[in-house]
Amino acid sequence: MSARDFTSAVEDSVPKVEEIAVGENLDFQRQWWRFERGIWIFFLLILIADVLGVFGRGWLAKAQRTDDAHAMTLDYERVERASTPSIMTFHFMASAINNGKVQLFISEDIVKALGAQRIAPQPESSTIGNGGVTYVFPAAGAPATVQIQLEPSFPGIHHFRTQVAGGESIGGIITVVP
Amino acid sequence: MAAYTVFRAAFGYLFLVLMVRIVGRRPGKQLTPFEFVLIFYLGGLTLTGIVGDEVSLTNAVCQILTVGMCHYVLAWLRYRSSRVAQLLDGVPLFLLEQNEWRTDTLSQMSIQDDDVMDMARAQGIRDLSGIRAAVLETYGEISVIPVEENGE
Repeated sequence: MSARDFTSAVEDSVPKVEEIAVGENLDFQRQWWRFERGIWIFFLLILIADVLGVFGRGWLAKAQRTDDAHAMTLDYERVERASTPSIMTFHFMASAINNGKVQLFISEDIVKALGAQRIAPQPESSTIGNGGVTYVFPAAGAPATVQIQLEPSFPGIHHFRTQVAGGESIGGIITVVP
Repeated sequence: MAAYTVFRAAFGYLFLVLMVRIVGRRPGKQLTPFEFVLIFYLGGLTLTGIVGDEVSLTNAVCQILTVGMCHYVLAWLRYRSSRVAQLLDGVPLFLLEQNEWRTDTLSQMSIQDDDVMDMARAQGIRDLSGIRAAVLETYGEISVIPVEENGE
């Protein structure tokens, strides 16, 4: 048989006010009200940051890079959201088009970590190697545009690199938030 | 990534606990339509982010287990520490005592004297002079202690 007690004496453990056992703790409650006021301001700041695009899909998230040779301009979102589609757009100038073709290299991070889903228009050919994929697109003349739909699965920070034949390399960082 | 789905479930549960705690208690024994919408909407929005596009049974079971574990841990902490219990549930608050309103508490909790009188009438108390004390409980109900009850 266990010697453990199953009962204990009733004690007046709940603090009383005016002989009523309520257990009010006004000091704690005042601290909590101060915390609530602070956290509502914090929530408001989060919402403002969200609308501005700090967490992606807004004005602050949009980025544009042009290579030093001015052969290509890249529009992308520097902050993306996991499992949410976004578009990376490549604008090609005349110097990027050689013999009616545009040869575009994109690094592995864009394909894997950032989850490249679709590419429009479809490339004439694609070749893997050098840490990425090289696409060849037929092009009649400048300006020309290629779009890649991205949909990253997981949060993280990803470095990418891209280059068009006849231009300089463009690098960047994309942060994926949950 | 399995760890990511478990993390999402735990975060979603804890975030909802925080939100419901902060949104505050309102007096009344039943949910008002306003609170009904709030609770269902918060739950639905949280669910979207937690489940995402992973609709497998394995994912559902693991996320339910995660939420169950989180709940168990919170309940255990609440039992072990009165400080945690106060953080999770809040504390009872006097709204009226010694024939005086606690005006600061009433305004901070967005409660009007009418709300207290509603509860008093439910106990057969006709006016404020029949109330010895009124207490806002942690679960949102207002307990009214009548003068007669204590022989005064």
